[in-house]
Amino acid sequence: MSPELVFQQALNGLSFGALLFILASGLSLVFGMMDVVNLAHGAFYMLGAYVALSVVQSTGSFWLAMLAAPLALGVLGFVLEPLLLRRLRGRHLDQVLLTIGVSLVIVDVIGQVWGREVRSLAAPAGLDGSVALIGGVYPVYRLFVMAFGVALAAAMAVVYRRTRIGMLIRAGVQDAEMLGALGVNTNRLFASTFATGAALAGLAGVIAAPVFGVQPGMDTDPGLLYSLVVVVVGGLGTLSGAVAGSVLVGPADTFGKVLFQDVALAVIFAIVALVLLLKPTGLLGRIRIAR
Amino acid sequence: MVRWALVGVAAVVLVTFPYWSAPWVSRFATTLVRDALILAIFALSLDLLVGRAGMPSLGHAAFFGAGAYAAGITGQRLGTDQLPVTLGAAALVGALLALVIGVLVVRSEGIFFLMLTLALAQIVFAIAFQWTALTGGSNGLSGVGRPVLAGIDFSAPDLMYVLVAIAFVLAALVIWGLARSPYGRALSGVRENERRMRALGYDTARLRLSAFVIAGTIAGVAGALSAYSTRFVSAQDAGLANSVRAFVTVLVGGAGTLGGPIVGSALVSLIERVVPSLLPTDLRISEAILGLVFIGFVLFARQGMVGLGRSAYQRVQHR
Amino acid sequence: MIEVRELRRAFGGVVALDGVTLTLAEGERRAVIGPNGAGKTTLINTLAGETAPTGGTIRLAGRDITRLRSWQRARLGLAHVYQRTELFASLSARDNVGLAIAARRGPYRVFRAAPRAEYSEGEAVLESVGLAGREGVAARELSHGERRQLELAVALAQRPRVLLLDEPTAGMSPLETARITELIAGLDRALTILIVEHDMDVVFRLADRVTVLHEGRVIADGSAADVRGDVRVHDVYLGKAVTVA
Repeated sequence: MSPELVFQQALNGLSFGALLFILASGLSLVFGMMDVVNLAHGAFYMLGAYVALSVVQSTGSFWLAMLAAPLALGVLGFVLEPLLLRRLRGRHLDQVLLTIGVSLVIVDVIGQVWGREVRSLAAPAGLDGSVALIGGVYPVYRLFVMAFGVALAAAMAVVYRRTRIGMLIRAGVQDAEMLGALGVNTNRLFASTFATGAALAGLAGVIAAPVFGVQPGMDTDPGLLYSLVVVVVGGLGTLSGAVAGSVLVGPADTFGKVLFQDVALAVIFAIVALVLLLKPTGLLGRIRIAR
Repeated sequence: MVRWALVGVAAVVLVTFPYWSAPWVSRFATTLVRDALILAIFALSLDLLVGRAGMPSLGHAAFFGAGAYAAGITGQRLGTDQLPVTLGAAALVGALLALVIGVLVVRSEGIFFLMLTLALAQIVFAIAFQWTALTGGSNGLSGVGRPVLAGIDFSAPDLMYVLVAIAFVLAALVIWGLARSPYGRALSGVRENERRMRALGYDTARLRLSAFVIAGTIAGVAGALSAYSTRFVSAQDAGLANSVRAFVTVLVGGAGTLGGPIVGSALVSLIERVVPSLLPTDLRISEAILGLVFIGFVLFARQGMVGLGRSAYQRVQHR
Repeated sequence: MIEVRELRRAFGGVVALDGVTLTLAEGERRAVIGPNGAGKTTLINTLAGETAPTGGTIRLAGRDITRLRSWQRARLGLAHVYQRTELFASLSARDNVGLAIAARRGPYRVFRAAPRAEYSEGEAVLESVGLAGREGVAARELSHGERRQLELAVALAQRPRVLLLDEPTAGMSPLETARITELIAGLDRALTILIVEHDMDVVFRLADRVTVLHEGRVIADGSAADVRGDVRVHDVYLGKAVTVA
């Protein structure tokens, strides 16, 4: 590989990593607070992309879609948590199973409403061009994704460290039941957490759409698969884990695809297996392994 | 003695289904029951993990797919249609893959176990999907050889059914025998209280690994049967949707019971294959229906159909 | 039978065991007492192999078992009765004990029902702890006292050389406590027993020797009578809280 290509791929890897962060942060947040791995996270991501598709088709505004999709998913999450998960509070594994059912329903409904063809969504005007960078041109949209991911991570870090909500989240990750004993309304807290996780998945769906397209199967790949790999590698339930996982998996996947083509995912497999063997709770994980 | 005789009669009735049912039902029924039995074998093997040993695997399709590919590829590459060779390869590959993945996952529990099995199996799927030279990649592997045993070609529809039904009866007997043996009781012990098992002197990691390998082997056999039946292997056979399908089958039927995975596979097959024919053709929502049924069972009847049946039976008895 | 040397265990900055040394002869019955947080349960868990020590060595019958896992120690004859009952909740009392009996052979007996000998041995053990007639009941259906009895039965069914008892009478009524105390007192004298217990009547009924732990250290060690008379023990532990007859 020429140095220019390496540079270009490094950018690709980092922008993919930024996207992975947006995607995985919601999954990680929900797990940290609720001890539930939301297996409908990929379906939420997919739904976000399709909502964006409709918004762009009817209004022509990508930016409106970037508001509408997370909002729609947030509302869905806010409804689903009390409707389903709350009934099985404390039974974490069964709650995870519920999200499998939710995923089956959402994906089939998407197929029924939007059809089962491969669709695409153009990057918004102003971000659809390319810029000259060391030894070549580079799509502006990918740089935007990178900047957005970094900004989101920074914003989340500020919220975590400096606000009352952040304090609740950090305390909740340690012991959510304890918060209830301290007089926090855990019903509202869990519903909000699940809604936020869903909204983040929806946001990832919009942002990824111009890069990865909008099509059946996206709920699993990249949706669920990549967000899981990120949180397994980085460690579930912490912001820093999601950041570390994204930064590692994004470039590793990108270079893997360039270097090993056919067996690119074997690279990711190797990373996951290595992390599992050396540190089963992830690189930065401090989780209690929930039964 | 009477019980065994009844089991024997039931097995014969099941295996000869295409021959006695011909006057009453269409040929579609044979295919439907055949596929339901393959799903039942697959689900029974998963239940050894989920229901018996308490290991909620969401990656079981990896072994089903591996078995299907192994049967197809060995048949084609070795130019043989001998059932013992191709089926043996499927079982072996299922077992070896389960050993490799098992070593990585058996020390984790619950949600973490579920996630790891899912992620690792998904990667097996991706390899199957991308390694076109070996697996046919996204086009799938077509032209899987016929299964021939003792000079009999089992590829005709009725004989194919008989092969699957015999395999199902054997698999059910194996699972039943395991479940009631001291080994099966030890797996229950791991499910109920792993810490206590260790304190009793059981190497629980090895116990879990052995269950994982047995389940992977049987799932590999189920995959091979699927490959013979359709003469085709799709990468989706190893995909998440197929793992989910087996898991839903086990839970809906009733985990930790012999009957559960079997009645579960009947219900899932009905929803997937019969319900769509009752709906308008432009309404393709069988997965959504399956999802709703699954949610209903998880919320309101976690013991599955077998559990519902048992409590109904008890209520009747109390009267 | 058991030789513990300079055993240490810290959880983060908290030192639970700070160089504990003690030796149990074969057939000895030793009580470990001390106030809450003295490190008693940590000591038992470290002996059982569930908590790794940060320093020191443990020997069982002369063999260094410091690095062995809990299941390996169990195979060498160590049985553990937990402070909080650890049973197989949905299995019958018979199967709870059966798993302990079968453990001596290893689990890889497939396609064969449990042998008759196991069945009758299980009945005998259950009867010995006072659970005759309750064999078919699931552990979770038993009363608290019965579960403690079953917990002991499971440990005895392992036919251990050393029995680690972590508050075997915890949460029991006086009547149940008296019964289980007599049961333990009547066990084979060749069995080495280490018991952590708060109830002083139980301690002085069962123990040949008593070790007093305080802040992870052994502060007194001797016959029951010696320890009763030890001034330091009164200060840190027996002092005002418990009156010793």
